[in-house]
Amino acid sequence: MTAITPATLLELYESMVTMKLWDQTALRLLQEGRVLAGYHSGRGQEAIPAGGVAPLRRDDYLMYAHRGFGYTIAKGMSLAAMFGDLMANTAGATGGLGAGIPHFADPELGILGQGGTLGSCFGIATGAAFSARYRGTDQVVVCFFGDGTANRGAFHESVNAAAAWKLPVVWICENNGYAVSVPAADSTAGRIVDRAAGYGMPGVRINGMDVTEVYRATCEAVDRARAGEGPTLIEAMCHRFRGHYEGDPQVYRTEEETERLLALDPITNLAARLVADGIATEEGLDELEARVQDTIDRAVEEASSAPMPGPERLFEGLYV
Amino acid sequence: MSQATATRTLTFSQAIREALREEMERDDRVFVWGEDVAVYGGIYGATAGLLEQFGPGRVIDTPISETMIVGAAVGAAITGLRPVAELQSSGYFGIAMDEIYHKAARWRYMHGGVFTVPLVIRLPEGAKGAGPEHDVSPEALFLSASGAYVVIPSDPADALGLMKSSIRDDNPVLFFEHAGLYAHRGEVPAGDHLVPLGEAAVKREGSDVTVIAWSRMVGESLRAAAQLEAEGIDVEVVDPRGLRPLDLDTILESVAKTGRVVIAHEAPKTGGAGGEVAAIIAEEALEYLESPIIRVASADVPIPQSRYLQQFLIPTAASVTEAVRRLD
Repeated sequence: MTAITPATLLELYESMVTMKLWDQTALRLLQEGRVLAGYHSGRGQEAIPAGGVAPLRRDDYLMYAHRGFGYTIAKGMSLAAMFGDLMANTAGATGGLGAGIPHFADPELGILGQGGTLGSCFGIATGAAFSARYRGTDQVVVCFFGDGTANRGAFHESVNAAAAWKLPVVWICENNGYAVSVPAADSTAGRIVDRAAGYGMPGVRINGMDVTEVYRATCEAVDRARAGEGPTLIEAMCHRFRGHYEGDPQVYRTEEETERLLALDPITNLAARLVADGIATEEGLDELEARVQDTIDRAVEEASSAPMPGPERLFEGLYV
Repeated sequence: MSQATATRTLTFSQAIREALREEMERDDRVFVWGEDVAVYGGIYGATAGLLEQFGPGRVIDTPISETMIVGAAVGAAITGLRPVAELQSSGYFGIAMDEIYHKAARWRYMHGGVFTVPLVIRLPEGAKGAGPEHDVSPEALFLSASGAYVVIPSDPADALGLMKSSIRDDNPVLFFEHAGLYAHRGEVPAGDHLVPLGEAAVKREGSDVTVIAWSRMVGESLRAAAQLEAEGIDVEVVDPRGLRPLDLDTILESVAKTGRVVIAHEAPKTGGAGGEVAAIIAEEALEYLESPIIRVASADVPIPQSRYLQQFLIPTAASVTEAVRRLD
């Protein structure tokens, strides 16, 4: 089992805190009417992007999901660029095309973008993994998706090909129990992790609310992929604290259910553990949080000063 | 004759294969994948021999998974490779439509232009007696897929030259090949023969009527023109060689010269690309028209598998001849 050093634990904690504060800030901007489109909060699921991206190298590839911006935060994407995309201005990574649903990418960081037609991530991940091997590199692809997305037919075609060709992919399913409003019990046969056996690849189901479990499982899967031993399916069981999107009336679950979830907060639970194990003090964690908030505030400020694009932006960059 | 104008005789299928071979020799990033393209050499033989020359790392048999074939080709294209992905029939477009329309065509734009998607998707089309799903010519469906080029050769020389240009282009290209043309022979210039994308070819000069045709209908239109010549009607045949980029200058120049237009394609008339071309001519060159535009196309029915019934549906040289005679 991979040992996790205190330094790594603190890094994972800071990563999750950045995601949480980023999310709070995004929600504030949304309330202020500064976000031009819907936003899918990632609150509650921070352990998965934090623990699932930390094992990657800078040149490894990331296919991220639409829930929160944690994946790209963890991969090192510019915070100001992401805020710019939320505000749909020219500070955004897309230069003004983006808004609440992330479509930013950074080839230098291996961030390959996101498809709004959920499930299209699977084929692109398989192709990027094929490309890594074709070019003789040992790059690895990590592809995040939800339990709802796992029911797209593209899952079968792409996961089958990646397994048949032993490509370096790590499939990380975030199973938060709901496909928008439909409970997994009503829409998903069997356990998603059990599909791994059907493709002849390792599969592991973990507690996705514990960043150390996510980190360990991903490290093992990344090592296997990098060694040429093929893909792995990780099913990370988790809970989202807010609605599918901001404004979701959540008629499909009770308030008691959402309140109970708060006890599972991956960030407060790790904080308690860091303090109990003597890795950090409460004051130290407060300072860390203040420092992160300051970084985020500066990123918002930087993004806010950028102008909106003109109509000419529509016609830029379509063709080479 | 200088060496530059020397030619070789190739079938349409061999021309595609030569283009693939030459570009794979030139650029290690080019690879070919699809169903039965490696050991079998492609069901139309267009990839025969490539496996032996380039090995299984670059000539790859895929599972029967069109969604993956196109989606993963996009993933390979945005990470430094130049895939040539074959759909065994363009009729499978629907299985891969999200990957073609939203991924191949839009990934670059949607992400702010930080990627290029140098991808060629080969799409065999056209009537061949395989039924309503396989025999379609669905190129017009992609008129609204801005971001992707639509390229359609009509003879071996263009097949070779357009394929080589498509592989070298940094934009995604939907490359339609009429299955009924694969066995056609033609002269192909020797050497590094490149045909620029978005440049129409005047396949026959004439002064009385402009026939705008692509794919198999170019050959049919040329036969019609030869017949009409005997009747004293001088037909110009313009092959746009694709729908995007569309060479409007050549089309409009010809329309201005002749004042009469027939548009011929094998796809059904309703929703066929002839409607778009006719609309453009109406917007840009109405003052030159001396007669209403006539479209020659299939009827708005599914294509039956029976070749016997297909003869009553699929347009031919006679359909073009008849249309030209109807012009004022």
